[in-house]
Amino acid sequence: MASLSQGLHVQAKVVQALIMRELVTRFGRDNIGFLWIIVEPLLFAGLVGIVWTIAGGHNSGSISVIAFVATGYIPLTFLRHAFGRSSKIFQSNSALLYHRQVKVLDFIFVRVSIEAIGAMAAYIFAGIVLYFFEIVTAPENVGAIILGWCVYVFFVISVATVLAPLSEMSEVVEKLVPISVYVAIPFSGVFNLAAWLSPPMRDVLMWSPLVSGMELMRYGAFGDLVTPYYDLPKALGVSLACLLLGLTLCRRVRRTMTVS
Amino acid sequence: MPTSAADNDRIMIVCSEVHKDYRVGKGTKSVLKGVDFVINPLDRIGLLGRNGAGKSTLIRLLGGVEMPTSGKITRKMTCSWPLGFTGGFQGSLTGYDNARFIARIYDKPYSEMRTFVEEFTELGVNLHMPVKQYSSGMRARLAFALSLAIEFECYLIDEVIMVGDKNFRDKCKEHFFEGRRDRALLLASHSLGMVRQYCNRAIVLDNGVAQIYEDVDEAIAMYERL
Repeated sequence: MASLSQGLHVQAKVVQALIMRELVTRFGRDNIGFLWIIVEPLLFAGLVGIVWTIAGGHNSGSISVIAFVATGYIPLTFLRHAFGRSSKIFQSNSALLYHRQVKVLDFIFVRVSIEAIGAMAAYIFAGIVLYFFEIVTAPENVGAIILGWCVYVFFVISVATVLAPLSEMSEVVEKLVPISVYVAIPFSGVFNLAAWLSPPMRDVLMWSPLVSGMELMRYGAFGDLVTPYYDLPKALGVSLACLLLGLTLCRRVRRTMTVS
Repeated sequence: MPTSAADNDRIMIVCSEVHKDYRVGKGTKSVLKGVDFVINPLDRIGLLGRNGAGKSTLIRLLGGVEMPTSGKITRKMTCSWPLGFTGGFQGSLTGYDNARFIARIYDKPYSEMRTFVEEFTELGVNLHMPVKQYSSGMRARLAFALSLAIEFECYLIDEVIMVGDKNFRDKCKEHFFEGRRDRALLLASHSLGMVRQYCNRAIVLDNGVAQIYEDVDEAIAMYERL
């Protein structure tokens, strides 16, 4: 047990150091820095929301289109960044593997965490702005939003542990990673509520932890305006299976990796 | 890490039956074909071998940067990362940022490290520059300063001392070869003078096989015949 807690202490130090350097290298010291990570998904969600509102035709019931889009797009932006940045993440950080306590999993964990924190901050900020303009009311159930985010993030991190080693193993997968994002969209619950779908279709989508997470988040935000459909055991099961596969692949790739 | 006297005889690095293959196109190339040796606490081992003999590979395996294809490396003393031309730094970060990163992951106070790095490297304002703009001599200075500030029980050095100027080599001599006599050292070098002067044992790598010599002159004679 002593060595386990020691190991965890070391990993905590490493993660902390990696987060600091990631923030310094990605956002630099000179611009608005860390704020970018919040502003970027916000701009994206805001612009899409505005376009949708103007274009009309999108029926989200009594929920404001902008709010609906923001709740869908901010988590999707997170997914897109997390998947995109997992590609070749081992090679691009390989200089750090000279330090034995730095593990390849730390890279994935840190990148996904930074994206997740940024997206959540954007989510909260968007909520405050929309509330201020009286587009939304206060969230009905904060617990459901948090639970939804946890389900969503856990699945994304599990998939990232699969994508990262695969992108090192084959050039093809590396090129396919950006496509995986678009493949994920229909299964992410971004554009619709499960309640709008036919029951058989809904059953299929319950296999996607992204849908469960998104439904929970939307239920938390809009309360009884939506009827949420989610399946936590399935979501956890699918995520864990992914994670297990990912950890195995990471281990295999690390063993044969050439570190220059 | 403090160890009791009873543990002392167990402190070492053991390399047993280590093989390393690399994939080359569709086939594989065996770089190390069963390497066995032990690094004891006070050992100063010279690692000799021609270009491409696998010196850097062996050092990377010892440092845990890469994993052996088969065989085992057991580390019972703290061991530096391989100090060489590459690795260990993030090119896009400044010297100071790298020092801060390394202080954090090795759990050392940054203020002490900063003072030591400034004094040892004598790089001055260059420490505010991204490391990718450093010359190899400057990198070597930074790598040595950082690893000396952390204090390892065993240092792995891949060539790099030779790229330094006289001032740097004097410093290495002062801090490594004379100052830290209680540490173990593995020194890959083509500078036979340096190996002869500082090492008590030597390994000659040839064709994937390591030959251990307790007598350095004998090892050098072997190496010169390769």
